[in-house]
Amino acid sequence: MSESHPTREAYYRVLAEYVSAETLVVTSLGNASYVWSNVCDRPENFYLEDAMGLALPLALGLAVSQPRKRVVAVEGDGGLMMHLGTLITVGSVAPRNLTVLLVNNNIHAASGGQPLTNTALDLADLARAAGIDKAERVASLEAFRTLLPPALDAEGPSFLVLATEPDIPPVKPAFPMNPPMMKQRFMDAIGAPRYVPAMFRT
Amino acid sequence: MSEENTTHRPSELLAALKRAGVSVVVSVPDSWIGVFMEKVDEDPDMTLIRATHEEEALSISCGARLGGARTVLLIQNVGLLTTGAGMVCLAQRYQFPILILASYRGSPRDPVFYHIPKGRATEPVLRAYGLSYAVAEPDSPIGAQVERAATSAEEGAAPFVLLLDSEDIRW
Repeated sequence: MSESHPTREAYYRVLAEYVSAETLVVTSLGNASYVWSNVCDRPENFYLEDAMGLALPLALGLAVSQPRKRVVAVEGDGGLMMHLGTLITVGSVAPRNLTVLLVNNNIHAASGGQPLTNTALDLADLARAAGIDKAERVASLEAFRTLLPPALDAEGPSFLVLATEPDIPPVKPAFPMNPPMMKQRFMDAIGAPRYVPAMFRT
Repeated sequence: MSEENTTHRPSELLAALKRAGVSVVVSVPDSWIGVFMEKVDEDPDMTLIRATHEEEALSISCGARLGGARTVLLIQNVGLLTTGAGMVCLAQRYQFPILILASYRGSPRDPVFYHIPKGRATEPVLRAYGLSYAVAEPDSPIGAQVERAATSAEEGAAPFVLLLDSEDIRW
């Protein structure tokens, strides 16, 4: 067995210390969302259920439309590999307010723990090659505490690859997640305009 | 022939997007779309995001809309085939009102041999997704059709697809 790494929850507890109302957090499917909902539920969270590989591009779009807020994308390594092109898009758009936390457990946790297609990749190197200069590997909570604050303050996209112990059994979320309601809660929290049907406009 | 048919329909389309308050356009190119993308990119009121894949582009669009921006996804119709999982698991499940403008390659008006399979599959796939859509009417002003499509997306809280002919989008 390789050396042990911090759990997803342990990383999340550190992240929770640094988020504010100005920090928008997008989490990918499965335990990425379920654990975060238990550790730090807040209206400024957008939880994905399913839609594998689409948390990072969604966070990119959010960062572009909310340039004054810090957007944190919590994506999985399997999800990233599913849409690896998104790294290139992030590197090209280079939003100054996007921080990517990549949970690197080398498995498809949400589908039962199957190994990734390639577990030997250096995902921080990959991010740098895609144009994201501020990319680092993290293997301990101490390192995370050191690297997270500058990543959240960075002018430009930042990317932390978090070596993480796998967590395969689904964790019960803090509450049942209703996607349209979660979306509206989020949009209300950030002051995004609510659409009013034409017949109700005065 | 209506008066508008003497005008430049891609210009009318772009003007309609601006009137609708569209500020973010996410695109994967097609030969009909390429110059239109440049016009968007040059517009100071709009941000163009060049994505690598249509499903990725759809998700970027949803994120921009989540942040409050009126958003358009601009792709070839083959992208409607490749967005499947994101369309049902993200855009529809979370009820994102995304206006999707898609060049309709391989339609009866675009009989190019390698586009025809995509054209044949497009509308059945849209119906299978449960998406609302319209095929742009060549003899009607395109601006009004875009405005109706954008309104349909917002009122329906769902993606709405407008399938475009070359004359509508090719600058």
